[in-house]
Amino acid sequence: MVRFDTVTVSYGNTSIIQDITFGVEEFERVVLYGKSGSGKSTVLTTIVGAHIPESGTVYFGEEAVNKRNIGEVRRTVSCIGQEPVLGAEKTRDALLLPFSYRAHRGKAPPDEQINRILHDLQLDHEILEKDVSFLSSGEKQRIAIARALLLDKKIFLLDEVTSALDIESKRAVLQLFTSTPYTIISVSHDPDWFKICSRFIKIANGRIVEITATPDPAMYAVNGED
Amino acid sequence: MEAINISYRAMIILYALITVPVLICFFLKLGNVKQILIAVLRMTVQLAAMGLYLDFLFRFNNVWVNFGWVILMIAIANITVNRNSGLRTARMFLTVMLGLTISAFFVIVIFIFIAIRPEPFYDARYLIPISGMVIGNCMRANTIALERFYASIKKNEREFLTYLLMGATLREAALPYIRESVKSALAPHLATLATLGLVSLPGMMTGQILGGSTPIVAIKYQIGIMIAIFTAITVTTVLNLLLSLKVAFNEYSILKRDIFRN
Repeated sequence: MVRFDTVTVSYGNTSIIQDITFGVEEFERVVLYGKSGSGKSTVLTTIVGAHIPESGTVYFGEEAVNKRNIGEVRRTVSCIGQEPVLGAEKTRDALLLPFSYRAHRGKAPPDEQINRILHDLQLDHEILEKDVSFLSSGEKQRIAIARALLLDKKIFLLDEVTSALDIESKRAVLQLFTSTPYTIISVSHDPDWFKICSRFIKIANGRIVEITATPDPAMYAVNGED
Repeated sequence: MEAINISYRAMIILYALITVPVLICFFLKLGNVKQILIAVLRMTVQLAAMGLYLDFLFRFNNVWVNFGWVILMIAIANITVNRNSGLRTARMFLTVMLGLTISAFFVIVIFIFIAIRPEPFYDARYLIPISGMVIGNCMRANTIALERFYASIKKNEREFLTYLLMGATLREAALPYIRESVKSALAPHLATLATLGLVSLPGMMTGQILGGSTPIVAIKYQIGIMIAIFTAITVTTVLNLLLSLKVAFNEYSILKRDIFRN
């Protein structure tokens, strides 16, 4: 589904990630972990063309990510960070913002669909009328996830997505991502999140150190250093 | 009726006036006395040169020289815009030149060639000062707009990427930043328009009255130039921001780092 083939990304003379090679199958859930500044987030954002590799290739499906298919890649992938960007003053406007773009114009979801997704994420529908600035970090994250679901995204790039959530909200998010098969590439330090993932990629100084199929107890120690 | 000439002796008295701010700054230890003296010297040299070239332009009054001069003013404004907005002139020169030229000539054609109709139409007495006022104001507005726009996208890269990931085209993703930048660029001019004649003194009108025009004629020119300037800065800021997207973003619609000076 997504594959890195010896990808190196640099800023000036400094390499942020080096010779990154790994692949993610459809419906697989993968975690990147490692210390802050090790290049995990750069790996995520390189998939959606935020950085052009200095060398190596990122594949999306069978095709290399390039200027012709980057639009399609971005329409398929959702990238949600710790402090998600909502881009509007009212929550409803934030949820419906993508439908003001030409790519989704005229495809705004009906209220029932919005309410169902909000319900799945344990959000009250009254949140729609709230000012975004009054939402908690956890609510903002769930609104960003709701928006991605409304756009029918298939691949999620999640950067510490459960870090700001309380136990109940986290349970709702975990339930949502496990009940429907999505391809997920995540950055996380959350042991609860590890439980729903099947592959663990350790990154240090911009390089992949190891890829394991089970959470390594040492991971928790590494995470503690962050 | 012409304005009363100021004698050279009177000019010495006017220059002596500068000792007042110099002494105030010196005693307050503001550390800017040298800066003030250099600024006054520069102003004198620049205005003397301006007097000489305006005198030449008015006497010569040639269509090619006049329009060439307007283009030169636009080119200088272009370099100033890029330098003051922290962008590399080499990268942005062509797009800013195009944006400034289109907007400046758009209002020059309407204001001078259609409304005033001097004989000949390229008369330097009208073309040069009016173009200068329009281009000068466009320069300030573009500096604000380009600086705000690119600084804002650089600062909010993640936000910008989020818009792209929601399916926005480059132009759609840039739109919120374009709105804010244009608003910032227009704000000082809107404030000037609203208070003209109350707080700020209309420069063109004052000059015309001193030059012998009737207040009614002077007011018509002042209104005309204010509308022309406001139209030009609105067109030029929007146009320049839109045109610059082509050169400032890569094929993945991500901001290029090498457009910035630092």
